[in-house]
Amino acid sequence: MAAMSHSQIDAAGLSVELRRGGQGAPLIVIHGELGMPGWLDSFARLSEQYDVIVPSLPGYGRSTRPDWIMGVHDLAAWVTWFARDLDIRTPANVIGCSLGGWVAAELATVAPQFFNKLVLVGAMGIKPDRGEIFDYFLDSGPTGLRRAFYRPEESAEYARFWGRDWTPEEADLVEQHREMTCRIAWKPYMHSLTLRHLLAGVRTPTLLVWGREDAITPLRVGEIYAQAIPRARLATIEQCGHMPEMEKPDEFTALVRNFFGP
Amino acid sequence: MTRQFFYFSEMGYNAYPLEAAEKYGYTSLMFPNSIFEPEKARDLWQMFLREHEHASAMGFDGSVCNEHHNNVLSMQESVNISAAVISQRIKGTIALIGNPLPIHDNPVRVAEEIAMLDLISGGRIISGFVRGTGVEQLSTNANPAYNRERFEEAFELIKKTWTVPGPFRWEGKHYHLRVVNPWQLPLQKPHPPIWAAGILSPETIRWAAKQRITYLVLGSALNATAACRDIYHEVARQDGWQPEARHLGYLIHTCVMDTDDEAYEMGKHHYGGASVIGRRGGAAASALTAGTGSAGVTSGGPHPEWMAPPGYMSKQAKTGDMAKERRTSEGSYEEAVRAGLIVTGSPKTVIQKFKHIIDRTDPGYLTFWAREGKKPHAATMRGIELLGREVIPALREHQSALVTGKEVTPWPQ
Repeated sequence: MAAMSHSQIDAAGLSVELRRGGQGAPLIVIHGELGMPGWLDSFARLSEQYDVIVPSLPGYGRSTRPDWIMGVHDLAAWVTWFARDLDIRTPANVIGCSLGGWVAAELATVAPQFFNKLVLVGAMGIKPDRGEIFDYFLDSGPTGLRRAFYRPEESAEYARFWGRDWTPEEADLVEQHREMTCRIAWKPYMHSLTLRHLLAGVRTPTLLVWGREDAITPLRVGEIYAQAIPRARLATIEQCGHMPEMEKPDEFTALVRNFFGP
Repeated sequence: MTRQFFYFSEMGYNAYPLEAAEKYGYTSLMFPNSIFEPEKARDLWQMFLREHEHASAMGFDGSVCNEHHNNVLSMQESVNISAAVISQRIKGTIALIGNPLPIHDNPVRVAEEIAMLDLISGGRIISGFVRGTGVEQLSTNANPAYNRERFEEAFELIKKTWTVPGPFRWEGKHYHLRVVNPWQLPLQKPHPPIWAAGILSPETIRWAAKQRITYLVLGSALNATAACRDIYHEVARQDGWQPEARHLGYLIHTCVMDTDDEAYEMGKHHYGGASVIGRRGGAAASALTAGTGSAGVTSGGPHPEWMAPPGYMSKQAKTGDMAKERRTSEGSYEEAVRAGLIVTGSPKTVIQKFKHIIDRTDPGYLTFWAREGKKPHAATMRGIELLGREVIPALREHQSALVTGKEVTPWPQ
C-alpha cells in the first residue's frame, strides 16, 4: 500500500493540514462538515491507483481559519487556489463528501475546466422536497457523528476514529468543526437557493454516491442532483449511512475506481 | 452616586404542568407551545405587573425587565414592550437587561425603540445589552458563531446612532444600512446609561470594562461576582482609570419573609432543585449550563446543546476560572443559600447578608430577583414590602468596606 504523508504546508494564504498518498492521476478529496479524522481506509486503497490529495479545509483540522471565509463559495474558490499553489494538474478527478460535495458542486457550476470527473457523496447544497437535512446544531457533536453512520458500532472506521472516549483535544476538534460549519452554512441551512438551477449547465461526468440509509442528507437530495446534472448517475449503497467512504470502504472504492477508471 | 435598589422578576410562565416538563426533559426552545394557555398567561401578566407597581410604591428605585424566547423562563419576548408597559406603572427607573443585540438584523430599530422609551418615560431608561442565551440564537436563527461579532458591531452602531448626527451610512461586516437617521433620539444625553449583562463570561466583562460601561452580574454566587469585579478593575487599571460603584450591578435571588424559617422555605421557589427537571441528584445538566439554572420551575430545564450552540461560547469561557466559579455555585438548595446564590431570611438576617455582599463587591446597582417560580402572590407582595420598607432603607446608609477600609460585615451564621 502506498505511503501517506501527513504535513502542514503553507498554501492558498493559509497554513494547511494536508494528507497525501499514492501515485497516478491526481484525485482531490473535499471533506465534509465533520472534518477529516485521518487517512481513511478507502483513501489508502485509492492511493494504490491515484495521487490522493486530502487537505483540511480552512477552519477544519489543523488548517487555520481566516475570518473572511463566510460561505460555501469562499471555500470553492479557495480549493482552486490551493490546487494552483500545489501545481495539481487539472482537469482533475474530485470527490466531494457532504458539505464538501456542495463545495464541489458549486465549483463545477463556475469552473468546469477544473474537473475531469466528479463524485458527490451524500452531498449537501440542495433542499429536498421530501424530508429534511438533519440539523446538527440542535444536537450534540457525538450525536451527529453517530447519526452519520447506519450502524456505527459495526463500522471499523467509526471505531478507529470516534468510537471510544475522546481526549479533550479530540472533543475540541469536533466543536471546532461544528463552529466552522456554522460560520459557512447556518442560513439557509446546508443548502443554496440557486445551486439546483445552475447544475443544469454542468457538463462534468458526475457520479452520485449515497448511503440508502443516509439520515443526514436524505437520499432524495441525491435523486434531485441526478435529475439536475445532465451527465450524472446515482449509485446507492445498501445498509449504509451518510458516510459511505467510512462505513462501506469496499463498495465505495469499487464504485469510485470503476467511475474514474485507470 | 447613591446605591440604587431595583426589583426584578423574569415574569415566567409558571402555569405549565410539571409532568410535561418531566416528559420532555426541557422547558425551552422545543417545549411544545400547545401547552401554553393564553388565559393563564393573561392573569399572570396582571399579577406580575401588580408586583412591579407594589415594588415602586414600597420604595424601590426602579424595576428591571428582560427578554427571552421560546421559553417558560420568561414571558417577556420583547424587553422593550415590557419596559413600555412597566414605565407607565412605576415611578422610578426602568432598566432593560436587556436587548439581545445579535438576534436583530437591524440594530437601528433597537436604537429607535429605546429612544422612544426614554422619551415616553421622561428619561427613566437604562439600556442594557446582552448577547442572548444559546436558546435565543436558535429560536431567532441568529448565527451563534458570529454572536460576539454581531453584539459588538450592533453596539457600535447603536451608540453612533445616538451620538452622531444623521444621516450617515453604515457598511459593516454584519450590518449594512444606506441611511441611518432615525427621527427620535433619546432624552438622556449623550444617551441612556448602557449596561452589559452576563453570566460570568470573562470576555464580556473585559469588553464592558474597555467600554467603561456597567457590567451587571446575573444571578451568580458571591465569590464569582467578586471575581468579576476583580477582572473589571484589572482591565480598568491597565487602561489607567478607576471604576466607581456604578460600574458594577448585581442581580441576586432574594427571598425575604418575616422569619428566617419562612424565608428559607419560600426561597425554594427560587431554586431549580425544587423543580422536577434540570437537575439530577443535585447536579446541573452539564458544565456548560452550570451556574445558569438556579431559578425555580420556570428555568429548571435547559438542554445543554441549546444553551451553548457551536461558537457561542469561547473555549476560555467553558473551561477557564469562571467556569470553575460557576460549578462551585452548584449543588443543593442548602449550598446555594450558603454560597449566597440565593439570599434568604428575615429582614434582619437579609440586611446583614447584603451588608456582607456590599462590603465584598460594592455594586452601584443592587437588583433583588424577588419573585420566581410558583411563589404565591401574597408571599411575593409581603417580601417586596419587607425589602422596600426595611431592607433597602438599612442598606442605603451602608458604605462598602472596599471604600471605607473597615472590616467586612460577617455573613450571619
